[in-house]
Amino acid sequence: MSPEASTAQSLAQTAAEMLSQGQVALVIGYAPTEGKRLSPPVFVTTPEEAQRLGFDSRCFGNLSVYLWSPQVRQMGKTAVVVKGCDVRAVNVLLRENVIKREDIVLIGVRCGGVGDLPAHKCTVCDCRDPQGCDVVVGDAVDQPDGAAEGRYSAAEALEEKSLDERREFWQRQLDKCIRCYACRQVCPLCYCKRCIVEKSTPQWVETSAHPRGNLSWNVVRAFHLAGRCVGCGECERVCPMNIPLGAINQKMAKLMEDEYDFRSGMSPEEKAPFTTFSTDDTDEGIL
Amino acid sequence: MPTNKLYEGVSDWLQSAVETLSAAGMTVIAPTQGEPGVVNLTRVTSAEAIAERYDNTLLPLKGQFFPITETLLEFERCEDGDVEIQTEPLPAPDEVIVLGCRPCDAAAMGTMDKVFQWDYDDVRYRARRDRATLVAFACTTPSPECFCTSVGGSPHGDEGSDVLVFGLGGDDSGGRVLLKVNTDKGRQFIDRLGDRVRPASEGVQPPSPPELARRFDTDAVKAWLDEGFDSDFWQQMALSCLGCGACSFLCPTCHCFDIVDEATWNRGQRRRNWDCCSFSLFTLHASGHNPRPEQFSRCRQRIMHKFKYFPERFGRIACVGCGRCIRACAAGRSLAEVLTEVDARQKG
Repeated sequence: MSPEASTAQSLAQTAAEMLSQGQVALVIGYAPTEGKRLSPPVFVTTPEEAQRLGFDSRCFGNLSVYLWSPQVRQMGKTAVVVKGCDVRAVNVLLRENVIKREDIVLIGVRCGGVGDLPAHKCTVCDCRDPQGCDVVVGDAVDQPDGAAEGRYSAAEALEEKSLDERREFWQRQLDKCIRCYACRQVCPLCYCKRCIVEKSTPQWVETSAHPRGNLSWNVVRAFHLAGRCVGCGECERVCPMNIPLGAINQKMAKLMEDEYDFRSGMSPEEKAPFTTFSTDDTDEGIL
Repeated sequence: MPTNKLYEGVSDWLQSAVETLSAAGMTVIAPTQGEPGVVNLTRVTSAEAIAERYDNTLLPLKGQFFPITETLLEFERCEDGDVEIQTEPLPAPDEVIVLGCRPCDAAAMGTMDKVFQWDYDDVRYRARRDRATLVAFACTTPSPECFCTSVGGSPHGDEGSDVLVFGLGGDDSGGRVLLKVNTDKGRQFIDRLGDRVRPASEGVQPPSPPELARRFDTDAVKAWLDEGFDSDFWQQMALSCLGCGACSFLCPTCHCFDIVDEATWNRGQRRRNWDCCSFSLFTLHASGHNPRPEQFSRCRQRIMHKFKYFPERFGRIACVGCGRCIRACAAGRSLAEVLTEVDARQKG
């Protein structure tokens, strides 16, 4: 049996058991499908449907985005299939009290990377073996060597450029934005009930897809994710206009690591620098 | 003069067309490759920039007539307290030649025309449409996501284009071509090309369109939708929808817009922007009530609008099967699959 088939079997078995024993009402996983460029999410509510579950290198989606969806929540306790990198987003959702650990079941799946040419995050991955899950399936996988070095390569490539070159680069990239908000909707951490761009009294961020509006939107989104983004790369993957949003996220993550020795989503108990107050803080801060 | 006439273009007809039309002061819009693998319609002054092999442009043709954002008027508060309003001038009447849209995108303009010239004659849209000639390049290799034949179209469909161009050498545009004139505008276009095109020899016929199997029957889909508003199908089918606007914004027939005022202290602009029924704010009332409160009701609306409401009002489906929504979907959702399932339920 191929590793993929054996992982699929483990997933199906695990999910079917959870459903038949009433541990969960819903399992969200992937349904690898012949001829598709990505293995789409599938929402399984019966042991029979669990046979559809599987895992392969087209399982790009970070399914933790569905954990706070009102439609999913009303279906009852939910198990979700997560890669190691997806667990980091779950950890942030836990740390920010968006979801409760007892309301979810994490089915971790060991992942050797997604994409034909592995996605950048997979070449620098240090979490192929998911941590903190209720159950983990799949054969053991090797971590890439020297993962840490290339972690922020897209951001560093831009740092090499002059300020004018960077401005020109981002202007050109952000001009392409069509304001479809796919980046926001696919982001597990963009859970605001009403996004600031949708607040119209006053209209804080212009909704028009002109350079000013696009810059405002993308900068606001970056700021809201600083210190939170776990680098799952979904925003960049789904951007229909191919804006390299990962470079923005890398830059923020690099600053967080350099300045605060912090990588977001490594544990649900972590203290996030921007939301943690300490009287022993040696830095003056802004006050 | 009869239309539907065939002309042959010699191998450098495209280069000649771009030069001649540009020299005559016309704006030539053609598919160009900006980034690797990404083709979009942009202004060209030379045929070398025109992409030769591409499935379709990333963004649909509609944006040439219904821009993603456009100024409608400008306003300014004067010192005496009055507000001065200046309507944005209409688009200049310079002729525009779109040289190389796909037949599905040209067909989509028929849908757009219905809406923008329905109960209200949208002068800004009409000005852009009136000045434009659409020269479509027939499809040789539909992409795996294409389903035009399921919604009444064809890779060689005539609808909406003034001229339809068939490559004779295998290439889309580079070599010898056959040009099929569909309208008077198309005839004028041919007339401007001089000796680079000539009436086709007797017996010359356009090549057969590439095979593209029909996946569903729109009559059956409509019949199911007529009764299916309250079906629990919608809740199931919508679970994976994330509620972004990629499908609508890339759709050649989606035409909903939002009107916003953008102002600094004393002056600003009123703009019209693309909008999308998948957004939760699309139907949110000022009272806080939302008649489409859940994502499934928004997914249902998008399909009902395209395959039931629009045909009932305008006698045509608001989908041309270009497949962009499928290619763009973050969650790998497929409109063609959903409609195939609806069709199966009807025939069940």
